[in-house]
Order: sequence, then C-alpha cells, then structure tokens
Amino acid sequence: MILQNRKRRTAAITACLAAMLTGVAAGTSRALTTEEVLNYKGADREQVLIDGAKKEGQIVFYCALIVTQALRPIADGFMKKYPFVKVSYWRGESEAIAQKLMAEIKANNLQADLVEGTGVGEIVVQAGQAVPFYSPKLEEFPTEYRDSRGLWAATRLSYFALGYNTKLVPIDKVPKSYDDLLDPMWKGKLSWRIESASGTPLFITNLRLAWGEDRARAYLKKLAEQKIVNFGSGSARTLVDRVMAGEYPIAMNIFAHHPQISKQKGAPVDTKLLEPTATTAGTMVVPKGVRHPYGAMLLADFLLSKDGQALLANAEYFPARPDVPPIDAISHVVPRTLGVKDNFVSPENLNKYTESSEAIYQELFR
Amino acid sequence: MSQIASSSPDIALAPPRRRGPRFSLPVIILSAILLVLILPPTIFLVKVSFYTTKPDGSFGDLTLKYYQQLFTGRFFFSSLINTTIYAIGSAFIAILLGTLQAIIVERTNTPGRKWVFLGAVISLGIPHVLYTVAWLLILGRSGPINSVIDHTFGHQAAINVYSMWGMTLIEGVGFVPLTFLLMSSVLRSTDASFEEASMMSGAKPTRTFWSITLRMGLPGVMALLLLVFIRAFESFEVPALVGLAGNINVLTTNIYQSSKGTGAMDYGQSGAYSVCLLLIVVGLLYWYNRLSRHAHQYQTITGKGYRPRVINLGKMRYFTAAALILMFMLVTGLPLVMLVFTSLQPFYEGVTPESFSRFTLENYRVLMGPGSFRDSIWNTLILGASTSTFVVPFTALCAWLAVRRKPGAWVLDQIATAPLVMPAIVMSVAFLYVFVNLPIPLYGTLLSVILASSVRFMPYGMRYAYAGVLQIHRELEDASSTSGARQGNTFLRIVLPLLAAAMISSWLFIFLLAVQAVSLPLLLVGPGTEIVAVTLFDLWQNGQVTELASMGITWVSLMIVVSACFHFVTRRYQVMAS
Repeated sequence: MILQNRKRRTAAITACLAAMLTGVAAGTSRALTTEEVLNYKGADREQVLIDGAKKEGQIVFYCALIVTQALRPIADGFMKKYPFVKVSYWRGESEAIAQKLMAEIKANNLQADLVEGTGVGEIVVQAGQAVPFYSPKLEEFPTEYRDSRGLWAATRLSYFALGYNTKLVPIDKVPKSYDDLLDPMWKGKLSWRIESASGTPLFITNLRLAWGEDRARAYLKKLAEQKIVNFGSGSARTLVDRVMAGEYPIAMNIFAHHPQISKQKGAPVDTKLLEPTATTAGTMVVPKGVRHPYGAMLLADFLLSKDGQALLANAEYFPARPDVPPIDAISHVVPRTLGVKDNFVSPENLNKYTESSEAIYQELFR
Repeated sequence: MSQIASSSPDIALAPPRRRGPRFSLPVIILSAILLVLILPPTIFLVKVSFYTTKPDGSFGDLTLKYYQQLFTGRFFFSSLINTTIYAIGSAFIAILLGTLQAIIVERTNTPGRKWVFLGAVISLGIPHVLYTVAWLLILGRSGPINSVIDHTFGHQAAINVYSMWGMTLIEGVGFVPLTFLLMSSVLRSTDASFEEASMMSGAKPTRTFWSITLRMGLPGVMALLLLVFIRAFESFEVPALVGLAGNINVLTTNIYQSSKGTGAMDYGQSGAYSVCLLLIVVGLLYWYNRLSRHAHQYQTITGKGYRPRVINLGKMRYFTAAALILMFMLVTGLPLVMLVFTSLQPFYEGVTPESFSRFTLENYRVLMGPGSFRDSIWNTLILGASTSTFVVPFTALCAWLAVRRKPGAWVLDQIATAPLVMPAIVMSVAFLYVFVNLPIPLYGTLLSVILASSVRFMPYGMRYAYAGVLQIHRELEDASSTSGARQGNTFLRIVLPLLAAAMISSWLFIFLLAVQAVSLPLLLVGPGTEIVAVTLFDLWQNGQVTELASMGITWVSLMIVVSACFHFVTRRYQVMAS
C-alpha cells in the first residue's frame, strides 16, 4: 500500500513538473492550437503562418482541378513563393475526394490538409468533418461566395449553358429560351449528361429554385416528351466533344466555357446561355484533424489571393474573386457581361435538392 | 469416382490410397494467402449490398432494399433480356473470331501469321474506353462509314451504332485479343498425334479441326466462355457509351442510372448485383469443375514428344492470309487508324475534306510537356510487371493443385475467381478502407496498388493456368516422382516449363490490363505515386477526344516496345529451357 502510494505521489509530482515545463515552453514560443491557427486574424498572420509552415515543412492538397492546367501551376507558384513548404497533391473527381477523405478521417489516418472541388466541400460539411477557418482575402469576396460559419470558401465559378453544333443548328434556329427547347424540331436531338450532381439534377434544381416547383414541373413534363438522349459515360466535356463530332446537335447543361475553348481552334460549336443560367461554385474546406494547419492556411490565402486566382484564370477557370477577370477566350460567356440573369445554386442548395431532382429525372426522363 | 474409374492406368500404377487429409499443407498456405487478399473486398461487397451507406461513408441499417430494387425496378426485365442478348452476341463474336485467328496462326503455314500477336498486343494496349470511342468515331453519325452511305444511298440509309448490334459488335470485337491469346496457347500445346491419326484415317483438315483439335481444346473454350460471358454481364463502358445513348439498358447501366447522380456514395445496388453474379459464377465454376473432372480426355501434352502439327495449306494459305488481314483490320487496324487520325486533329468534327488540311502535332506536344504522363511511366511499368509476375506463377501453382485434385484444392479456384465479378470501383473503395486502416504504412503506396490489382486480375491468370494444366498428362509428373523428385521439384522443373506457353500469354495479358486499369487505382494512389491510368482518367474526364487519342497512340507505341522486349526475353528463355 505504502509503496503504491509513494509511486502514485511520484507520478503526480512528475506530471505537475512536466505540465509546468511545457507551460513555460508554450509561453515562450506562443504555440497556437490548430483552431487558433485556422482562425488567426492578427496583423502578423503571414509571418506566423510562415514560421509555423517552416516547421511543418509540407502540406497535402486534395483537389479536383486539372493537374496540367491548374493544379501543377498552382503548386509550383506556391512553392516559388514559399520554397520551404513542399506541396504534394492528389487529384480526383469530387466524389472520389470525398470517399478518400472520409475513409482517412474514420481510420484516424488523415493525409489531406486542404480540400478543393465542386460538391466535395458540401459533402464534408454535411458529414460534420469540416472545421471553420478564416482568411483575410475572403473579405474581398461577395458574401454569397463564402460561408457564414467559415466552413467553406468559393474558389471558382461554373456557368451552365447550351452547347450546339453550328453546322447542324442554323444561327436563327438556336434556342434562346427554355421554352424554345420544347419546339418539336428538337425532338430526339437534345442530350444531357446524367451521371453527376452537376448534370441533370442541377438542370432541374436550377429551374425549381428559379421558377418554383409547379412551374418547373409543368415545364419538365413537356421537356420529357422531347426524348432527350441520356449521355451516361464521360464528363460534360466529353459530351461537348460528341456535339462537335455531330453526334448530337445540342447538349444542355454543359459548362459554358468548354465550347468556347474549342471554338477558338475552329471547331463548329458555340455556347448559348439561357435565362436563368445555373451557376455553381467550387469550394475549399479544411478537414477535421488537419495535420499541417499553418501550411494549409498559407495555401488557402494563396488560392484566394489575386496571384492564386490569376493562375486559375489562366487555366481557363472562372475565378470567384470579382477583381480577377477570366481570360478573353471565355469571358464573353459570363452571364453578367451578357446581361443574362444567373441563378447561383449555393453548395447547400445543390446538396439539398440533388436527391429530389434526381427523383424527378428518374420519373420523367428514363 | 468417375475419374478413378476411367483413368485406369493411373490406378494400376498408384498404390491403393486411403482417404487422405481434407486439405494438404500447400493448399492451406495458398488458401490463406488468397483469403487475406480476397476476403476484405468480398466482405465489403456483401456488406455494401446489405447495409445502407451513410453520407460519411460508414454503414447504417441492415436492409434488403437493394436486392428488392434490383429485381423489382421497372427496367429490370428489359435490362435482363438485353443483357442476355448482348452477352451471348459478344461472346459469340469474340470466340468465333479469336478461335479462327488462333487456328490459322498456330496450325497453318499462312504467311505472316506471327504478326497476329502484334495485332493482339496493339489492341490490348489501347485503353478500353478509348477503343470504344474509336469505334464510335468510325460508326458514329459523322463517321466515315456513314459519310460514304450518305453520299451513295442518301441520309435515310445511315446506320445507327447506338443500338444493340452496335454494342454487341464493339464489345465482341474488343474481346477478340483475349480469346485469341487463350486459344492460341491451348492450340500450341496440343499433341499432334491425335490429329495425325485423324488425318491418316482419311479426315480432311477441317474435319480434323472440328472433331479433334477443338474438342481437345474444350476446357480452354469453356474457360473462355466463362470469362467472356461474365465480363459481358458486368461490362460497363460499352453499354454506357453506346447503349445508353440509344436508350438501350443493360443491367449494369440500369443500376448505374438508378443509383448515381445523387452525389452520395452508395454502392448498394451494384453491390447486390455483384453478389448475385458471384453466386452465378460459383455455380458455373462448380459445373466447370465437373467438366474438368474428366480432365484426362483433354490431356494433350504427354510423354511422347509433342509438337503441334502445322498444316500445309498450299494455295489456300493466301486466302487465310487475307482472312487474317481482314480480321486484323476489324479488331485493330480500323480503330487504330481512326485514333491516329483523331490525334492529329486540333478538334474532331468527323472525317471531312477540310479535316485533312488541319493536321497538327499539337496534341503530342502537350502530352510530352511537363506534368503529363511521362512522369508516371516508371511507376506504371513497375505496377504492371509486378502484378503479372506475382499473379502468373501463383495462379499456375493454384491451378496445378486444383487440376490434380490435391485435397481441398478446388477451393483455390473458387476463391481466386471471385474477384471477376466485383466492379472495379467497389473493389477500389474496399481496398481503400483496408489500406487506410492497416497499422503498417501501406496506404497510398505503389505496393498497395500492386496488391489490389493482383487480386483484380487473379481470375484471368487462373483461367489461363487452369486450361494450361488440364492439358498436361499426369504421366510426365509421375515419371518425375518415380525418379525421386519431390512435389515442389516436379512443379518447378516439369510443370512450369510445360506451362510456359500459357504463362507467357497470361503474363502479357495481365500486364496490359493492369497498366491501363483506371477505376481500381484511383482511390489507392497517394500524392507522389502517380500512374498513367490516372492521367488517362483525367484526360477522359476533362480532356478533348483529340488529346485522349494522342495519349492512346503514344501509350500503344510504348506497349509495343515493352511487348517486344518481353517477347525477346521469353524466346531466349524458351530456347534455354528446351
């Protein structure tokens, strides 16, 4: 008994001493908790982040941006500015990123420090696995492009439009409104991409949000009679390629800038924005349990800065920052510049409506 | 019983045996290895089909709804019928063309026949997605064939590839290299004496082929049927790209349409479908096993010197050469030419007169630039070579034990074939969960991808090896053991060299599949372990078809180089072995 008591006492004293020592050490280097790092608002933010990131030495970025066009230039640009941090990245589609991330979190084996994509952010937020963060750059963004809780921030925008083959669709016949799509001349000639949340569900969600359930449903019922080709393999970009090849005259709900990039090279394809134009945002989130918070914040600041957003613009994306314009080749399909009303489908709404919109698709269009 | 009764020579030599142990030691060890590899994804598959999946990827409540949805969906019956037609049709095309090629190559003196192997390598080297796209470019509305029809017969006569025949043709033709490689390895190791006997009894060469050569190769043909049929039942790319666009649903695309698009990670229905397929495969394998119980009938490699007979076709050989060229054009030539053409275009809008003035090397320049696939070539080659090198001898040993009916060895065949029915994406998710939870740091490494793809391609190795071992007569091994060799030694020095032909085909086939598998490695690779398949997937998702084509052509060229090296090495080995 006595021996045990003594042992216990010794242990307690040692613990106290250790606590005091770490307390002193913490006091001198002002170690911040992860939460404090992610939300650090001091004037010396960049220096604090740099000092911390130097100790961390590396960050891991999971991202849906295309490697050659965007991801690599961004990583290179960042490492040029902060050569003491090694950025390693893994690229996947949003769903794959979510899948990998959730598995890592559950296994307590988290690799990713920062995550970016369209749709993945909301999945992580909904699963309760995102933590709030702050970036001073965000104050330069419109409020709709950032989360009031600080859980996500928009990095880039996407506009959805018609893509059509200019050889198969004469200029005076190009549909100018959603109602024009109901013209019998388009029966069997319209196509859309069915597999992802930004495919058919987004098309349907956009109309439901803009017009209300009844009007949207009445319209979709008529649209279903057009026998739309359900394009089931490959991306929206692949569908545009099929339109260029003349397989389908018109693709609905494709990314507005894709036809423009090919049109530049002389391809017989063009974009037509319909009102309301569905707009979505790619977002970034910080996963719970992040291992390199300093580096993650440094990269977040960089991505949201003018330099970072310019790199995105060069890679043919639409930057979310209002003061960084998209490149000329695609700038004329931005709804605002054309005077077309756009409908921003927020990440929350996209996630919330996808399942019921998918059900409408299943019911009417299969 | 039937085996013992009908193989009386064996009985006479072997001492009377009592009922041995239910499992022999090598079988237990191999089963253990297989189970460690295959059980995790199988359990995951079954769980996925019986439990709901929560948004964070964890399992929720026990449910039967996925099975119910599978069988009661309003498209189930039409999909089932479509699937059956599609599977039978494509299996028929694949086996017919592949076997025909194999017979001409292995058994006749047709000039230029050895080049067919090159053709097979080229078409296996073309990533499957791209192969399908190439066919759509050829047969599509703006493709060259329809252009010609338009000019001669008018617009009404245009063919519609987005139809059942389109799907069946593309899938069937895509499988010809597999059937050719498997059949040629079967034919190469068939004893000529039976054929000689047939010819001497007055049978014509064609008659001899049908009643002797093909009959003797029955296990090989059956193995093929099994593979091609199951593959067609679970194939996705062709039905999705070709069928869906024509509103023709098969079971896989029906499930895909019912469960995708919501953004949630729910593989319940595809899991349920795979479990059903798994049961069917188990049944088929049982039947196949019964068939090969009469294995002695097919033992074509005997102690008497075996050399496959080559038939002198005389003038006919130019006819068969023309047939080979025709088949080469159909299986490899046309898609390849189309891909080369597309890869040289700034964009693709069909084969128009203007497009011939637009040739450019820009796509290749982009491809060779930094950040593209040149960084990942080494990783990819290591992945392919390691997978094949592990799978081929491993399955050879398993197949040998199974065919020779070592106690309990039938289990090996069953387990090793199970991965055949698992959708690559479900397997990928399953392995993700396995590796991320392992205490050893395997997660994200190339080794983890190698292990996963070894499991994925195990069934192919197994079928190649099984058909190969069936043909080896027991007497050779008996001679070895009578001379005092142990089992291990017999396997290494007698069985393996005799299996060489099957193993070489198998190695190359698995290599070519492993390096281009897309869905499987996607979730398993980590930052820094890039492989080509992932670049390919990126291009498929976001690139333009012209860039994708240039990547495909470059990749095929590299595969030809690799295969040539491989061919050179194995030839030396074969020379040394003999």
